[in-house]
Amino acid sequence: MTESLIWWSIAIYLVIALGIAILSRQGASEGASKSMSGYFLGNRQMNGFVSALSYSATTYSAFMMVGLAGLTYAGGVGALGFEIIYFAGVSLVAIFGPKFWAVGKKFGYVTPSEMLGHRYHSKQVAMAVSMASCIFLIPYSAVQLAGVGYLLQGITGGAVTFTTGVVLATVIAIFFSYIAGIRSVMWTDSLQAIMMIVASTLVAFLVIQGLGGFSALFDTLATEHPQSLTVPGSGLFSFVTFLGLTIPWFFFSLSNPQVSQRLFMPASLRSMRQMLIGFLVFGFIYTFVSVLWGFSALAAFPSLERADLATPTLLASEFVPPVLGVIVMIGIMAAAISTIDSIMLTLASMVSRDVYANIKPNVSEKRQLLVGKFVVPVIALMALGFAELQLDLIAVLSVAASSGLVAMVPAIIGAFYWKRGTAAGALVSVVGTSAFVLLMYATGNSLLGLPAGVWGIVVASALFVGVSLMTKPHEATADAFLSAISEELSKRRRPLTPNR
Amino acid sequence: MKRSKWIWLVWLVVLLCYLVPYTLLSDVARWYGSFLFWACAGLAVIALNVFITKDFEEHSDD
Repeated sequence: MTESLIWWSIAIYLVIALGIAILSRQGASEGASKSMSGYFLGNRQMNGFVSALSYSATTYSAFMMVGLAGLTYAGGVGALGFEIIYFAGVSLVAIFGPKFWAVGKKFGYVTPSEMLGHRYHSKQVAMAVSMASCIFLIPYSAVQLAGVGYLLQGITGGAVTFTTGVVLATVIAIFFSYIAGIRSVMWTDSLQAIMMIVASTLVAFLVIQGLGGFSALFDTLATEHPQSLTVPGSGLFSFVTFLGLTIPWFFFSLSNPQVSQRLFMPASLRSMRQMLIGFLVFGFIYTFVSVLWGFSALAAFPSLERADLATPTLLASEFVPPVLGVIVMIGIMAAAISTIDSIMLTLASMVSRDVYANIKPNVSEKRQLLVGKFVVPVIALMALGFAELQLDLIAVLSVAASSGLVAMVPAIIGAFYWKRGTAAGALVSVVGTSAFVLLMYATGNSLLGLPAGVWGIVVASALFVGVSLMTKPHEATADAFLSAISEELSKRRRPLTPNR
Repeated sequence: MKRSKWIWLVWLVVLLCYLVPYTLLSDVARWYGSFLFWACAGLAVIALNVFITKDFEEHSDD
């Protein structure tokens, strides 16, 4: 793989992606880029197919192809179990999706934090959720950027340096968000998702063929690395570690605002269904491809210095034709970008809608949008700064973000299912749990032998329920919120004509 | 029974995803051990979601 091949491929990718981003402005109605819901939610008119691909691209970041393959390489099949439990957690969308969608439509919410603030009748709740999201998601974005840096550096043997890769990804992410807000982000996401699923499946196929086929691969693993096929196996996936990894990721679809905000966007519940099922099919294939990459690397290159090198080594190996290797490499870079630009947009909408507009009352929609657009590059630059610190172990850091975001989960579930939940309960739960998780990570991440990933949801639930029971709920907003859901969701389609 | 109640079956699958590989399959170092189990669990989750969200099609768009 030569340096010129790499740079030319990046250039071609950029031209195509920018073309798609610019085209995405075409379909938008007048004013789509002038209002908050136009810019950040695509006017709540996104179709199911694009939503599914974009949901997948946003969720499956560089972590998947570099981190999950690496995790499989280091710890074996437990990595698959971890990912499948996350995947099952996305079923929460089947239950909460229509509810988010209904209240979003009724009350015009732009962000999930705005929804919580309204439901609990408290600006402080909206502000706390927004700020906690920034605290955890900016390092998470940094991890994605670092992933790109490692990948480009590893695969080119250092010809493209870590810093070049990181800066490149940041600049592209800012660009994609600016062209047409969420529209350009979702369309470029879709391009990335399609390219990636095809190319990465092809790589898995070629590599497994190169290693003598599926059964030969698993025979090699069974004889030479039998521990890689069981849990706890080599010990990386002890039951406690497994719990600590999986519990936060199980709640990902609710706890991470860059995906829960997507629940406001589909044009109809039918589109939401397409988004969910499309994502699940995509995710299932992608999960297996990543795990098989990790297994293949383990069979072919058992003595790598670091597990994160599994993917770059595989792509640079003789099994993969250089052009395909470069396509996948760019796909992984695009995967990181598609995650970061969505996070940037979501955080920017939260900062302007729930922090700025709450501190400074009566600001116009136009002004909020201006502030949001200003915040996008600020967040990107902060992530760039963290990435340059070159923190190790991609997977573990991503999970630190998820453990922290679990702080929102009881308040979100309570918003829909527990009328007795109060603003004070939500506030103490979000702030207290965030602080608790940060403290856990600062002090070695173990309390009574359990990690923050396990404690987070316990502490958040105890605080939410405990403090709510000691305070009074705001019944009027709770009633309005819950009756809006039942009213909206009871609307039935008129009977269909048979030939439709 | 409302379709959304079937979500409990998904949560049961999740529970089995913790229990089975760490007990029954912890000595089966073959592709048909935990690897196959989690693969089937993933497919079951997809099938259940297709079923649970079927009602979404009937919801009025306007």
